Amino acid sequence: MSGVDLASVLLQQNGSGNATGNATNATAGNATNATAGNATNATAGNATNATAGNATNATAAGPTSETPLPDLISGLLGLDGFGIWGDAVAALLGAFLIANVMLTMTAVAGPWAKRKITAAFTDRIAVNRIGPFGLLIIVADAVRLLSKELIVPEGADRPAWDLAPIILPFSALLGFAVIPMGSGIQLADPETGLVFAFAAASIASLGLVMAGYASNNKYSMLGGLRSIAQNLAYEIPLVVTAASVVIFTGTLRMSEIVAVQSQPLIEAGALTIPSWFAFVNPFAFVLFLVANMAEIGRNPFDIPEAPTEIVAGYQTEYSSVYFVLFYLGEFIHIFLGGALMAVLFLGGAAPPVPALGFIPGFVWFVIKIWAFFLFTQWCRSAVPRVRIDQLIEIGWKGMLELAFANLVLTAIIVGVII
Amino acid sequence: MNPWIAIGALAVMGVGIPLGMMAVSAILRPSVPEQGKSAIYESGEIPTGTTRIRFNIQYYMVALLFVIFDIETVLIFPWTVIYRSALESGVGLGKVLFPMLLFIGILTMPLVWAWRNGAVEWVKSPRATSRKVEGES
Repeated sequence: MSGVDLASVLLQQNGSGNATGNATNATAGNATNATAGNATNATAGNATNATAGNATNATAAGPTSETPLPDLISGLLGLDGFGIWGDAVAALLGAFLIANVMLTMTAVAGPWAKRKITAAFTDRIAVNRIGPFGLLIIVADAVRLLSKELIVPEGADRPAWDLAPIILPFSALLGFAVIPMGSGIQLADPETGLVFAFAAASIASLGLVMAGYASNNKYSMLGGLRSIAQNLAYEIPLVVTAASVVIFTGTLRMSEIVAVQSQPLIEAGALTIPSWFAFVNPFAFVLFLVANMAEIGRNPFDIPEAPTEIVAGYQTEYSSVYFVLFYLGEFIHIFLGGALMAVLFLGGAAPPVPALGFIPGFVWFVIKIWAFFLFTQWCRSAVPRVRIDQLIEIGWKGMLELAFANLVLTAIIVGVII
Repeated sequence: MNPWIAIGALAVMGVGIPLGMMAVSAILRPSVPEQGKSAIYESGEIPTGTTRIRFNIQYYMVALLFVIFDIETVLIFPWTVIYRSALESGVGLGKVLFPMLLFIGILTMPLVWAWRNGAVEWVKSPRATSRKVEGES
C-alpha cells in the first residue's frame, strides 16, 4: 500500500488546486478542459471528470471545503487572517479534538466495555465495584498500568523495541484524519481519502513486525511473522473489495462516497431503504467485513496474539506504558475498521431512515462503529480461532478469488445497466 | 486550507500522544532492577538458544505473491475511479471493461501457477507428518 500512498500524495500536490477549482464550477462539458489543464497528470483530470459527473447524481453536491473541521475552528476563533500559521493552529486544534474523541472511545472500550461484553456472553457480572457500573475502573486501570515498572528484556533491539509502541497508535490514529464523522466533524477531505485511510492503517503491520523482531523472544518472533503473513493475505481482498465500491461512486473522496449513499434505493410506502452499499452489494459487504476482521487481527483471526498458542504474540515482552500503547493502538484500529465499514457500506453518518434525521450525524457514526466493536467482541466469545495454515488457505484460496470475482462482476453489472 | 496540513497535524498528535504517555509513565513508575527480571520469557524455563531461529519458508513465498497483487491493486484504483463516468460519457463497454479483464486475467495466471506449485499450501515438516501417520496407524 505504500505505493498507493506515495502516488496519492504526489497526485494531490500536483493536481489539487487545479482539480478542485474545476470541480466547483464544472459541468460534464468541462471535463476535457480539466484534462487539458492537468496534461501532466491524466488521473487528476479524470478524477475531476468523475467529481463533476457525480455531483449531478448525488443529492449533496461536491464538498464546500477540503478541511471542514479546521475551517470551522478557524472561523470560530477568528484565525482566518493569520495565513499558514493560523491554518496550522486550527488544524492542530482539530487534530487534538479528533485524537481525544478516539482516546475517549478507546478508554471506554478497552478497560470497561470489553470486560462487560465478555462477561455478558459468559453469564458473569465483571467490573462493578468502582464507580457507577464500575466505570471508574478506567481511571484505576490507567493509573495502575502507567505506574508499572518497565522491564526491558535482555538483548532487545533497542531503538526498534521503543519505536514499535509509537507506530501502532500513530498509524491507527492517522487513518481517522479523512473519516467523515458526521455533523461536520472531518479533519481533512482530500481527493484520495479512501486510499489514504488504507495506506495509513497498513503502517500498523510495520509496528507489529518491529515489536516481534526486536523483543528477542521466540513467541514474539512467531507472533510478528504471523501478523505479517495475515496482513499480506487479507490486505488485497480488503482493498479490492473497496475498489468495487469505488466503481459505484466514481470518486475516492470520503465525503462524496457518503453523499452517493444518501439517495433512496427502494421506496415502499412509508419505508425508504437508503442506497447504502451494504444493501446494494451485500456480498461485498460480507467480504469486506471478514477481510477487515483479519486486517485488525480480531477473532477468529487473532492468531498474531493467540494467547493459548504463543502467550501474547508480539507483545509478550512489553510491560507498563508500552503495553498500554499497544492496547490503545489495537482498539483505535478496531474503531478505524468500523469507521471504514460505516463510510463505505453503511452510509457514513446518515440515519437509516430519514425520520430519524433529528438525531445528529455524529451520534449515528458512533453507533455504527460501536456496533462493529460489539460484533468483534461477539466473535471473540463465539467463534473459535483458525489455525495459521487455515488462515493462509482462506486468504489466498478463498477471499482473494472472491474479491476479484466481486470486482469483475460489479464492473460488468454496472457496465450493462448504464 | 490544504487538507495535508490537517493530516500532518493529526500525524503530530499521533506521535505526541504516545510520547506524552511515556513521559507521564516515566515520572510515575518505579525502577527496581533485579537479576533475572529482564530474562526473556520462555514459559518459566531458562531461555535456551537464540531467537533468530530458522523459520518456515512459507512466510517468504506468501510475501513474494503479495508483491504481485499489491502492484495490481494500485493499478486497479485509477480504473475504478474513471469507470462509471467513462461509461456515462458514452465510451463503449468493450473499450473500458475489456482491457481491465485482460489485465486481471493475466495476473490471475501467477496465482494459478503458485497454487499448483503449492506456494499457498502450508508447508508441513516431513518429520511431523510421518509422526502423525505413525500415531494414527
